[in-house]
Amino acid sequence: MQHSTRYRLIFSFLAVSFVAGGVSLFIGGYLLYNAVLMEANNQVRLALNAADDVYETHVKFVKVALSITTLGAGFRSSLSEKRTEDLLDRLDRMAQHAQMDFAGIVAADGANICRIGPKVFQDEKGQHENIIARYVISHKHEIAGTVVLSKAFISRENMELADRTQFYPFKGANQLMPDDDQQLACMAIGAGIPIFENRVNGELIGVLYGGIVLNQSTNIVDQAQKSFFFDDVQQEKTTPMASILFDRIRIATNIVDEKGNRAIGTEVPDEVKEQVVIQGKQWTTTQLYLNDRYISAYEPIEDILGRRVGMLSIAVLESNYSNVQKKFFLFFMLATFLGAMIAIVMGYFISYQIMKPIHRLMKASQEVSTGNLSPDIGPISRDKEIAILQTTFKDMVESMKRRRMESRSQIIQSEKQASVGRLAAGVAHEINNPLTGVLTYTHMLLRRTDFPDDVRADLQVIAESTERVRKIVKGLLDFSRQTKLDPEPTEINRLVEASIKLIENQALLKGVTVQFHQGETLPLITLDRSQIQSVLLNILINALDASKPSDTITVHTTPALSASDTGNRGVEIIISDTGCGIAPDNLNKIFDPFFSTKEVGKGTGLGLSVSLGIVKEHGGAIRVQSEMGKGTTFFVWLPMNMNIGETKNETIGR
Amino acid sequence: MKLLVVDDEGIVLESCRRVLEFEGYEVSLAKSADEALELIEKEDFLLLLMDLKMPVHDGIYLMRELKNRKKDVPIIVMSGYSTNETIAEADMMGANLFLPKPFTPDELLAAIREISKRRSAR
Ligand SMILES: Nc1ncnc2c1ncn2[C@@H]1O[C@H](COP(=O)(O)OP(=O)(O)OP(=O)(O)O)[C@@H](O)[C@H]1O
Ligand SMILES: [Mg+2]
Repeated sequence: MQHSTRYRLIFSFLAVSFVAGGVSLFIGGYLLYNAVLMEANNQVRLALNAADDVYETHVKFVKVALSITTLGAGFRSSLSEKRTEDLLDRLDRMAQHAQMDFAGIVAADGANICRIGPKVFQDEKGQHENIIARYVISHKHEIAGTVVLSKAFISRENMELADRTQFYPFKGANQLMPDDDQQLACMAIGAGIPIFENRVNGELIGVLYGGIVLNQSTNIVDQAQKSFFFDDVQQEKTTPMASILFDRIRIATNIVDEKGNRAIGTEVPDEVKEQVVIQGKQWTTTQLYLNDRYISAYEPIEDILGRRVGMLSIAVLESNYSNVQKKFFLFFMLATFLGAMIAIVMGYFISYQIMKPIHRLMKASQEVSTGNLSPDIGPISRDKEIAILQTTFKDMVESMKRRRMESRSQIIQSEKQASVGRLAAGVAHEINNPLTGVLTYTHMLLRRTDFPDDVRADLQVIAESTERVRKIVKGLLDFSRQTKLDPEPTEINRLVEASIKLIENQALLKGVTVQFHQGETLPLITLDRSQIQSVLLNILINALDASKPSDTITVHTTPALSASDTGNRGVEIIISDTGCGIAPDNLNKIFDPFFSTKEVGKGTGLGLSVSLGIVKEHGGAIRVQSEMGKGTTFFVWLPMNMNIGETKNETIGR
Repeated sequence: MKLLVVDDEGIVLESCRRVLEFEGYEVSLAKSADEALELIEKEDFLLLLMDLKMPVHDGIYLMRELKNRKKDVPIIVMSGYSTNETIAEADMMGANLFLPKPFTPDELLAAIREISKRRSAR
């Protein structure tokens, strides 16, 4: 397919602008993406810290609530005197106030003294499962933090609580069980305060403990989320969401599923557990949840025994940040598009400028092809290349014009010669047989001596006339004959000299001087000697015929380039006479076959047309200049290396 | 011995017969290459004068046949339209002389004399 140059130019411009736009889009997009991602990560970490604060605050709150209770007037004495009614009353108020899920007091030996919630059976074995109390008893100081509590413990503490809590299997939930034994457990924040005999020191008389079960709790995560309202533009969905995870399971969260329920019980990928719970690192990752991508940050939660038992996590919709990126992409696309538009306009304009002279040239060459040899190519361009194109085109058309003038007459000439040649060949061949008869019978009759003189004289006329016919037919045949050249390298001067020798006598008889100026350093010319000699002879005899006594025929030889554009090397033989000259009207007829001004019987008018045929066959050319009454000059140019194929088509007499 | 003239044109045959018989030669005439071959099978000839362009079988064919039949006869080829190529071809096929038509009786006799001169020179 061919495209116009203009569209190619525009396409190039477009391609450039698209590549530039694409590259900047890619690089810019990549850089921005990273920047946005970093910013997102930072914000998520900040939110995680905030969530951590909320978590810690709750831990402290539980501890403070317990401490205050122990410091309450009469608490210690109530405990020493084991007034459980009073103690329980205090505990209930405290639990209500601090929204604790469980609370109780154990004696220094771990035996339960009282606990909130519906009364259940008394048991003494349970002491070992009360991790908080056990810790305080053995360390003799207060403790607050995260704890993992077995279902068994919760059940004893508060059956109702156990019923509404979702438990999950956990290794080592029960300190009495081997670590690898999975037991149902939950996670909680709790605290324990040792109570001594008197305020300064003394015997440990009991432990006040209490806490909040985190499973399914909403308090901490929702408070954490509220603290994230950085600015009021943020909508619900774009707010960071907090989760508390027990091991790898979300036990408290404000991430919601498609039905709007909290996504409790869902798990995080192995990778997160590996990095955070097992390795103890802070971890940020992007993950898919319900068709949305979230940037999530996790940090480990340690329990009071120093075990990493869960995670605190913050998740932010990635689209919060990718929106920025989208805007950026849009902006760049717009810029690229604008660039493309500018490229099209510019390409159109510039190509118009560039193409204008070329279009002119195109139109001009079309005109030339339809025959107008004087097309308008417009002003010469300031562009060097185009200017060269224009001037070359101009020169080309000029030389075409010149050549057309020359070749038009040449074409007519050679066509005429070809058809006449064919005719002549046919006629000559048919005539030769009867001519043989006429010649034979006439001569046989002439041999007889028994005829009267007048009859013999008549026979003589027949014989001579027949001889003339024979000559004409021979001329015709020579003219039409497609002779094969028999070329050999020849010294032109020798050949010319030999030809002149042949007419010298005739010239002498007529009183015409023949001069020969031999050119020097002539190259050897490959030619058919006898044919070129017949050319020279014909031209010389024509000159002689045109000359009066005391006229001069001058022959020059000289190296010369071809007159046509090819500039081939060769030799020119110039034969001039001071004879009668050729009438301007006849000048373009003298190469026609049968054109002769000579009296009947003297010239067949085939000489020059045969000569021209021979010279053309050699790849050469004949020119003529003549002035009436002053003389005529023939220029015969022959190439150094004849190229027969080049001129074969123009040969005569096919 | 006889001379054999082969030409499709009666006037040429008759012309040759006139001239040659006038000079004392015995002459046989053939109007075609095939006729000539028949005659040659029957008797030997001193010389063959033949046209090149003849209908059915041309002079080149005749010469080739002669060569095939190992007839070694001097040949003069007469032709009304001679190109370098046809001359060269006739030459190749064993023509001894080329006599362009039309010819006068003297030219014909000169050609025959030239052939016998060459023959005796060998
Ligand atoms: N040197 C010359 N001076 C004057 N006229 C010339 C000269 N050369 C040729 N002519 C003219 O050109 C004509 C054609 O020449 P051309 O050689 O073709 O034929 P011809 O000489 O008349 O006959 P032929 O050469 O066949 O015997 C001549 O009759 C003559 O009128
Ligand atoms: Mg002439």
